[in-house]
Amino acid sequence: MSIVNCQLFMRKLLDFLVRKRHWFLFVLLEVLSLVLVYRNNAYQRNIMFSSANVITGYLSSVSGFVTSYLNLREINRELLERNGQLEMELLELQEQLEVMRADTVLFAGFAPDSTEQFPYSFVMADVVNNSVTHLSNYITVNKGRKDGVEPDMGVVSERGVVGIVSTVSDHFSVVIPLLNPKFKLSCKVAGSSYFGTLSWNGRNARFANLDELPRHVEFEKGDTVVTSGYSAIFPAGIIVGKVVDFKKQHDDNFYSLEVELATNFQALNNVRIIKNYRQAEQINTEREAKKND
Amino acid sequence: MINNILRGFIYFVVLVLVQVLILNNIHFLRVATPFLYLYFILKLPVGTSGSNVVFFSFLIGLVVDMFSNTPGMHAFSCTLAGFIRQPLILLLMGKDLPEGIYPSYKTFGYGGFFRYTLVFIVVHHVTLFLIESLTFFDPLFLTIRIVASVVTTVLLICTIEAFNIGSQKSGD
Repeated sequence: MSIVNCQLFMRKLLDFLVRKRHWFLFVLLEVLSLVLVYRNNAYQRNIMFSSANVITGYLSSVSGFVTSYLNLREINRELLERNGQLEMELLELQEQLEVMRADTVLFAGFAPDSTEQFPYSFVMADVVNNSVTHLSNYITVNKGRKDGVEPDMGVVSERGVVGIVSTVSDHFSVVIPLLNPKFKLSCKVAGSSYFGTLSWNGRNARFANLDELPRHVEFEKGDTVVTSGYSAIFPAGIIVGKVVDFKKQHDDNFYSLEVELATNFQALNNVRIIKNYRQAEQINTEREAKKND
Repeated sequence: MINNILRGFIYFVVLVLVQVLILNNIHFLRVATPFLYLYFILKLPVGTSGSNVVFFSFLIGLVVDMFSNTPGMHAFSCTLAGFIRQPLILLLMGKDLPEGIYPSYKTFGYGGFFRYTLVFIVVHHVTLFLIESLTFFDPLFLTIRIVASVVTTVLLICTIEAFNIGSQKSGD
């Protein structure tokens, strides 16, 4: 009797499991999604499911190729402007050089160290995928490991800072831009040497906040905000934006500045990826120092 | 049968392409983004087995995720929305619908299709934006974004449904 009962029960149970199998599928897929969300929020390193994989990257680069023609006029104007600025700078530097040479022309002992050089170089890249209105935005560019791009390299546009490379595949890489709460950048107001942390407020793609700037720093609205250079990623002095507003933070010892970003993320087409060949060395040294704590 | 699969496949590819190439770049007043690809899940035939609906919802969510760099977010909310689709149809339309018909104005009635779309999209958008805001919480802005996106998505889907000649002619 009990065996029959048991069989009946097993059959009912099996029946139930088969009838409700979409419940199990549902739970399974939801857990899978959450794992993806969690893993990628923790640290954006998953190439398989990001726009740096071969198929999505290729499709994005085709659409980027088409849309890049739409902005040619604007890009041309920007390049001309930048060209003009650089020419002015060149003239200025040449003049300074002339003056210095006139001063030192007789001093034969002047021998600059020829091994000392600027430790940064650039890789030019096109933006193939871009978003500005999500809470966590990402940019995909068409250069990858084959072009020498590695994670944690800095990215700048012709106007200012863009972000940091996070995921790299062979031909594409994903950049975490300033417009992402995960990205915090050490910045200072040009002319002072105190630094604060720049982060995005999540709403407007034109503005970000510079927090934790000491109260006694002197600045005015309209002053330029530049990178502090206190990381191995960006050289010091790259333009980030300008100050449009400021207020005291609630703990009263620091200012919070509203910064208008120099880079126009809504119309981003060409970027430069900064390679710092001393980055690994610096990071290793810093890690070594922390280990001794 | 073959016809159904082919039709589903074309819907899938076209809607994903439209979504990732065009609509993902639309941010009306910086708050509203229409998510038209949900039309694929909405238009699956009535009587498709629960596990199929859930699986295809997950799949389209995952593909959209891969293109918009939001791993898991669309997949999660789509799976949930796909899961409630069948109970929702039962609740709104009753049990007397013939198997295998496609949801449309003709089969559901204007009011019925609108309610069905609205509830479905509200569930999806609320989940999606809540997950997205895990990294950054701002209740007022979140509400504005949800409402604005729901309005644009529902408007877009209802408009496209009105122009979808195939579903009006056959109604099945």
